[in-house]
Amino acid sequence: MTRLDTIVPAPLDLTGYRLGTPQRAGTLTMVPIHGPSRPGFVPPRSGLKLKQVVTYGKVELHNGAPEGVAIVPLHIGYIQDGAQNHALCSSALIAAGQTRRFDDACCVQSGQGGYLEGRDQWFFVLPVELRAKALELRGRENYAKLWPAITDLNRGYGLPPRGHLEQILSRKRAVLTQFQSRLELMPGQLGALFFLGETFAGLELAPDPVYFAEMWMALVCFAYGVAAWHAEPVPGPAEPYDASGLAELRELLRSDRAARTEEVASWMPKPTRKVELVEQERYLDLRLSTVTGGGLTGQVVTEHGRPVYASLFTPR
Amino acid sequence: MDIPLVLSHFQTHTAPLTLTRSGDLTWDDAELHRTAGLSDPEGYALLALVPGVRSSQRARVLLHTLATSQAGLDERTRRTLAKVTRALLFGLPPAEAMTVLLALRRLRANHKHTTRAVLAFVLEHPDAAALIEARRPALVDCFEHALGKATARACARRIDEGDTGSDYLRSRLLRFTADPATAIERVWYLYAPGTHGATARTDPPVPLEAVRAHEPIVTPTNRGDVAATLVHLYRGGPAAELRPALARYTAEVTRGLPRLPGSVALVLDTSGSMRGYGDREWAVLSQASALRLVLAEVVEELTVIEVGGGEANPEGATDLATGLLDALDTGPDLVAIVTDGYENLLPGDLARVAATLPRAGVTVPVVLCQATFSGRDDLTLRNPAPGLPQRRFWHQDDFAELLPWMFAHCAPGRNWIRTAVLNRLEGGRP
Repeated sequence: MTRLDTIVPAPLDLTGYRLGTPQRAGTLTMVPIHGPSRPGFVPPRSGLKLKQVVTYGKVELHNGAPEGVAIVPLHIGYIQDGAQNHALCSSALIAAGQTRRFDDACCVQSGQGGYLEGRDQWFFVLPVELRAKALELRGRENYAKLWPAITDLNRGYGLPPRGHLEQILSRKRAVLTQFQSRLELMPGQLGALFFLGETFAGLELAPDPVYFAEMWMALVCFAYGVAAWHAEPVPGPAEPYDASGLAELRELLRSDRAARTEEVASWMPKPTRKVELVEQERYLDLRLSTVTGGGLTGQVVTEHGRPVYASLFTPR
Repeated sequence: MDIPLVLSHFQTHTAPLTLTRSGDLTWDDAELHRTAGLSDPEGYALLALVPGVRSSQRARVLLHTLATSQAGLDERTRRTLAKVTRALLFGLPPAEAMTVLLALRRLRANHKHTTRAVLAFVLEHPDAAALIEARRPALVDCFEHALGKATARACARRIDEGDTGSDYLRSRLLRFTADPATAIERVWYLYAPGTHGATARTDPPVPLEAVRAHEPIVTPTNRGDVAATLVHLYRGGPAAELRPALARYTAEVTRGLPRLPGSVALVLDTSGSMRGYGDREWAVLSQASALRLVLAEVVEELTVIEVGGGEANPEGATDLATGLLDALDTGPDLVAIVTDGYENLLPGDLARVAATLPRAGVTVPVVLCQATFSGRDDLTLRNPAPGLPQRRFWHQDDFAELLPWMFAHCAPGRNWIRTAVLNRLEGGRP
């Protein structure tokens, strides 16, 4: 398992992307993606800012960079103490210097007053358990629309059944943020495959390593870390290798690792031709499309048919 | 004596040594102390002075050393034991030292070295006046146990009558002290009327190690001078100014420490997580690198195997298992793995490789030193090899106990500990 184009089917052209060595943290496995970089896009943390929450469910983001298009990461959300936290249902393209208002944002903290302001904020990506529902609700103006799904998620994790995502993201932050260290961002990495247990969970691709590095924490800690945290396995006793010397031990470790890498490859969903792309918006040569079918859903940004951003996941 | 086992016990077992009013002595680990003390009386006693040993364990060592006959020990060993005894007598909180002395009375221990120790405490304690005022009956009991009740009271009576140097007083009491005038004054005071409700200091008069005072809020630059200087270097600070300071601070940490006549292979985690991020960026790596600098000064032959991108460019994944195998290939006396505990390539590999070593015929000791941001880090998900001996460290002050703990696991380290403690006893280090 070294090439991405053999895994994700057409019409996405993923030739040139390579897969690295899998890393694991509990039940979460991450396979780094390296490949063609497309610099020039505004990174989400240092360039894209939450300007204000106009009213519940209506959020303004601002691309403050002097040049470069900002690709709003799919399902980005903002947390701020004492304010109503919001997440977006879809990705978007914002030109340099522009402010964009999203009227279909969802509140992720029922009953909490106050509006987010552009200060003391940190962003997350919705947990993968909520992403299919959030994508399905894009375009619908109702700030409370994600509360039932959040309530179900909390109930499933043994937390009070409320529409408070903060119960997980903030109160479990200390353990969730450890995923940022339990999995290591690799030099030059601009994407990743994620698996929960032996099940493919998502594919994340960024235009360049700088953009992906700024997404790293939000993805590993919140988008995929929440499900992994909930399924954290109890480590068993260490089983020794049957080696009678150091050289033999080294060889056994190497072959064992190779076998485990192959095992990860076997977890990939089988390629299918049923994937459909529906264009949502465009900016110059950039196309933002929603992907459905083939056991995948999510959004991609393409340029001349080549993806520069992708966030695809398995509906859960 | 299994030094790593005993030292770990001394540094972690916190149950107090207690003596009830009815005279019942309680120490749940008496057998461990008895076995260790009999197998190597000097090494056992010296271990009590290693930094980080619990006060209650030091009290046990004092008790065992004073309760056990020194018959058959050579003169050098007896001199060492006497030094350790004195250090413990005045290095323990007075209440704990008195528990030991009262326990000796209960055990009817009356060796010569026991007598000398009890009298030294009663007559030469720097805070004797306040201590006698606060604990007069107990100290009288100790004094009378040391000399014998009749002799003690006879000495007291003579002193009360103005005797300052009769043959009787010299042969029975003053020969045990280097300061007869003070001893006479204190014996007189011991038998004088007391004051109800008097209190004495609770801290030791001559502490065995400095009291650690840390800032309440931990930052990357208040965890010791070496690490702080490294943080500034990593941030791109002026090397011309920082490098000489780094050498100076490292020399201060290692001053007085003996060289370890052996080889250590250091597996140093330099992955991306060691660099950290946000407010804690560089904190963990800087302390791990500080340990590397200290080891480079102290160890005769240090080999460093960097796992990840290297100290200059910490990034990438953590392959501790391969690092351990590479370290063992150098044929060291000891392997020390220094990591934040996040193993991701692949988790469990280090534990499996470590568990295989005995059957692969490898007897080289391997220890795991976990670098953390503060003393309160949750390590639940950061234990890559539960079967390995392990210690955490986060501050430069931790090195004082970390180094002996590490070296205790290898043969050359045992003599290193002895030399280091003797250096401290002789005033080489505070």
